Amino acid sequence: MLSINLVNTYRIPQTFEYYRPESLREALVLLSTIEGAKVVAGGTDLLVDLKFRRVTPRALIDITGIGELRSIGVGDGYVEIGSAVTIQELVESEVVGRHLPLLAEAAELLGSWQIRNLATVGGNLCNASPAADTAPPLLAYDAEVELVSLGGSRRIPLERFFAGPKKTVLERGEVLRSIRVPLYRRRAGWSFIKIARTSFDLAKVSAAVLLSLEGDTVADVRIALGSVAPTPVRARAAEESLTGTGFEEAVALAPELVAREIAPIDDVRSTAWYRLEVAKTIVKDAMRRAYERFLRVGAAP
Amino acid sequence: MFDFVGKRFPRHDGFVKAAGLAEFTFDVEVPGMLYGRIFKSPYAFARVGRIDTSLAESMGAVVLTPDEVPDALFNPRLLSLEEDTFKDWRVLTKTPRYVGEPIAVVAAPTEDAAQRALEALRVEFEEVYEPLLDPFEAMSPGARPIHERIVRGRRWVEVRNNVAAEYGYSEGDLETEERRSSVVVERRFHASRRYHAQLEPKGAVCKIEPDGSLTVWTTTQTIHNTKILISQVYGIPMNRIDVRKVPLGGGFGSSIHTNLVTLIAVGLCLKAGRPVKLVLTREDDMVHDHVGFEFYMRVRAGATREGEITFGELENTVDIGAHQVQAYPLLGASLGWFVSLYKWRALRYYGRAVYTNKVPSCAIRGYGAPEVTWAVETVVDEIAEELKVDPVEFRLRNYRGRGEIFWGQGPTVRSVIRSDGVPELMAKCSELIGWKTRGDPRSKSGRFRRGIGVGRGFHTSGAGGPLSGAVIDYSGAIVKLNEDGTVDYITALQDHGGGTLDAHAKIIAEELKVPPSRIRIVWSGTSTTVYDVCTHASRGVFVGGEAARRAAAEVKRKVLEYAARILDAVSPEALRIEYDRELNDAVIFVEGAPEKRVSLSEVARTAWQRNWGSISASVSYRATVAPPSFTVYFVEVEVDTETGIVRPVRVVAGADVGTVVSPELAAGQLHGGFSIGWSWATGDEVAYLRDGVPAHRLSMTDYKIPTVLDLPDDERFTVVFASTYEPFGPFGAKGLGESASNPVIAAVANAIYNAIGVRFYEIPMTPEKVLRALRGGG
Repeated sequence: MLSINLVNTYRIPQTFEYYRPESLREALVLLSTIEGAKVVAGGTDLLVDLKFRRVTPRALIDITGIGELRSIGVGDGYVEIGSAVTIQELVESEVVGRHLPLLAEAAELLGSWQIRNLATVGGNLCNASPAADTAPPLLAYDAEVELVSLGGSRRIPLERFFAGPKKTVLERGEVLRSIRVPLYRRRAGWSFIKIARTSFDLAKVSAAVLLSLEGDTVADVRIALGSVAPTPVRARAAEESLTGTGFEEAVALAPELVAREIAPIDDVRSTAWYRLEVAKTIVKDAMRRAYERFLRVGAAP
Repeated sequence: MFDFVGKRFPRHDGFVKAAGLAEFTFDVEVPGMLYGRIFKSPYAFARVGRIDTSLAESMGAVVLTPDEVPDALFNPRLLSLEEDTFKDWRVLTKTPRYVGEPIAVVAAPTEDAAQRALEALRVEFEEVYEPLLDPFEAMSPGARPIHERIVRGRRWVEVRNNVAAEYGYSEGDLETEERRSSVVVERRFHASRRYHAQLEPKGAVCKIEPDGSLTVWTTTQTIHNTKILISQVYGIPMNRIDVRKVPLGGGFGSSIHTNLVTLIAVGLCLKAGRPVKLVLTREDDMVHDHVGFEFYMRVRAGATREGEITFGELENTVDIGAHQVQAYPLLGASLGWFVSLYKWRALRYYGRAVYTNKVPSCAIRGYGAPEVTWAVETVVDEIAEELKVDPVEFRLRNYRGRGEIFWGQGPTVRSVIRSDGVPELMAKCSELIGWKTRGDPRSKSGRFRRGIGVGRGFHTSGAGGPLSGAVIDYSGAIVKLNEDGTVDYITALQDHGGGTLDAHAKIIAEELKVPPSRIRIVWSGTSTTVYDVCTHASRGVFVGGEAARRAAAEVKRKVLEYAARILDAVSPEALRIEYDRELNDAVIFVEGAPEKRVSLSEVARTAWQRNWGSISASVSYRATVAPPSFTVYFVEVEVDTETGIVRPVRVVAGADVGTVVSPELAAGQLHGGFSIGWSWATGDEVAYLRDGVPAHRLSMTDYKIPTVLDLPDDERFTVVFASTYEPFGPFGAKGLGESASNPVIAAVANAIYNAIGVRFYEIPMTPEKVLRALRGGG
């Protein structure tokens, strides 16, 4: 453990170069040429990590000046969100509100006003906290992330982006450019539920549900959870088992099915036992709330 | 009835605080100032060998080590008489007894340079001992003594079994009363450690003046006791130390004593011969500086079939951490709270404070009253239930009210209760919450269950009394009329941010009949004020306000005397004084003779022009009583039986503070008091890992306090003030502060019981514990 005498949060304990490029290419060049360079956007996680000496970058490359990373656009069958879009911009975006209400709901529960104004969606994902609030909704939407480097770009499912607590598959020289979220084509209900100690806290456990029904039968359900495994997770096996069952039956079965796919731990915020029990509860709750919204969406013109 | 008391005026410091212009300790800048940084012990219990300062010094830093500070032990808190003061602290130590205990300190021209110098210190630890983290383990035979001997007053005393202090008391015939009881309930309670979470981290700036005297700016609830302690520790005459009063960002007890950081800053400044600023980071403050006390209580009480309380017994083991701040007086105060809650016909008390290798505990809002009230109010609820008596009725029958003796802060602080709004508050508040409709927990079902609980309590208004007692308690005030009729109010009394000094301004205004805007509250220091003990014990308005009123009354007496000369009245007694709205000034007049009128400003000007001299008064005031301000909380909660989350649905907070000087600020105190109580009842605790490292090492990320979004808004939070008048208070006022939170935990715990039928004997009642209990895990 870090000696207590090394922590002084009035200061950042090291010097580093700071760049604020205006193009992505410039950022990629800097990132690939400076050994030990690190990308910074809102800095709400990184500055804390710096103060506690968890990271020691030689240079910080601030990507918030790169226009193309700051926009939200609608493509053919998808919404594309630049990685430096702030959480508050997600909350206020009409596109997100219309097409990705599940993400908007989660974004609004992230941190405080001050944090939402600084923090970015890309930062939230790249920090790779199991508790990242934007991860479960984006997982539920089958989002993909576009990773770019000087060598080119690759697009992978978000589900494969997380490699463990605080770990991603980003390689040296790579930047998360955007998150591409396929439009969910079915009529859907949605719900994000976050359990935390106070209204300004990291999740003890969170759940995101997208739900579509035919009659009273589950036509499609997507369940993603936060803070219950080394990474945010999709409960794929549970989803598969629940598809085709009646809604009430699905609600009854979901908790135990989901429980098989998660592995929560004890930490300072909660216990493994509590997380497991409450994950089961909020999956049910989220399904019910999604169901109500599904009915309401159908009723609206 | 009053012109200014009870009315709303802008706060004197409202604008500067809202605009960010107020200068707190952190903002004080002195030319040539060095920045200090403390080397803290990474071990919970160890012995330091050599400290190699050469590298740090070669970098230009000034280093202060344990060998260079005065050798005598001290106690940072000076509120008790010296013979009741237990001393076990040093400014810097070679035997750290908790993780974070200061061992050395460096000073350098910048914060960065100071940090680098700190990292260049080489501290050898000769021995690292297994820390004692549990008080019962610490008391067990063979446990390593955390302190072998300490100083009580001026003599050495041995510490046995790590028991830092003990306090026993009994009254009446317990056995007879127990035989008379048809119901006896005995329960064990555990209240864990909490952090004060005051807004401002502690700090100090110290400067040597050209004449060699010291000026100190620091976070403190008491500038005079800080001056005295600096004098005692460093042997500097008191008139060579000026501790300046600067705005304080909340205290909640955390700065009742002189903060260690202040004494360290002084030592560093003296060695460096240059000004020094030493301010803790939030992490230093919350992880390594201070926490509240941890209580293990056993309560036993009985009542007759007719619903009369018979006896009460309280056994109280307090885990105080590694040093004493006020362990002994806390044991006495806990007894005082216990005794004063109900009319025990017989009682027995035993309290002990135990050393452990954890951050030292100090007073935290309520000074044991929230914990004792929670335990007693739980047991009383259980007795009432067993007797099938309405818990409100049961309390009204048995509480200590008007005419009874109130114990204030312990056996030496007794006075007779003269004002008592409990019956009125109980009636109004129970009606407002819908007490009669609360239902029985056994009849409640469904996932979300609501319950209503009551908690009744009080706090003392200061620690005054008819006899001198074991606690020092008096205040001072200087009121000075300027030559244009404006008023300077000069006091050492600290306002923690709650508006205490605005209340004083209204009290002075009421006495002199000039508007509060005419009164300037002067930022002063120990050199320019008379002694005030401390803003603690909810004494600011009752004691400090009465001192201010008396000084204003003395000024008024002189004003009337001079006015009599001006108006040719036969004597000042022939004159009346009142507030003239049009002039926005006080006018002095002869009743029935309209031409015989003069404004207060004119009196001030005339006294100057005719060489009559200044109109001013300096008062030192000791209250001869410490009346209780009673509070009654009715809280409705909703328990989610599938997540264990408890939500506050509605709060009705009743307060008997006598005359309400500032209604909106007093209501704010009740909201704040509830917030703290709610946090203690349901929020986070300060826990320790096996090696004595606090588990919440990441600071506010890992230790949460409720935000405004987690608490009931104004529509769901009703404040009721009793219509009482305290004959000894300034214009009938009593204290409020701590009573605003004292019964909250009790009310919340009783409400949770009413919702789900489970009683908790351990706080915090986290969702994890609630869910575990609902699932049958106890």
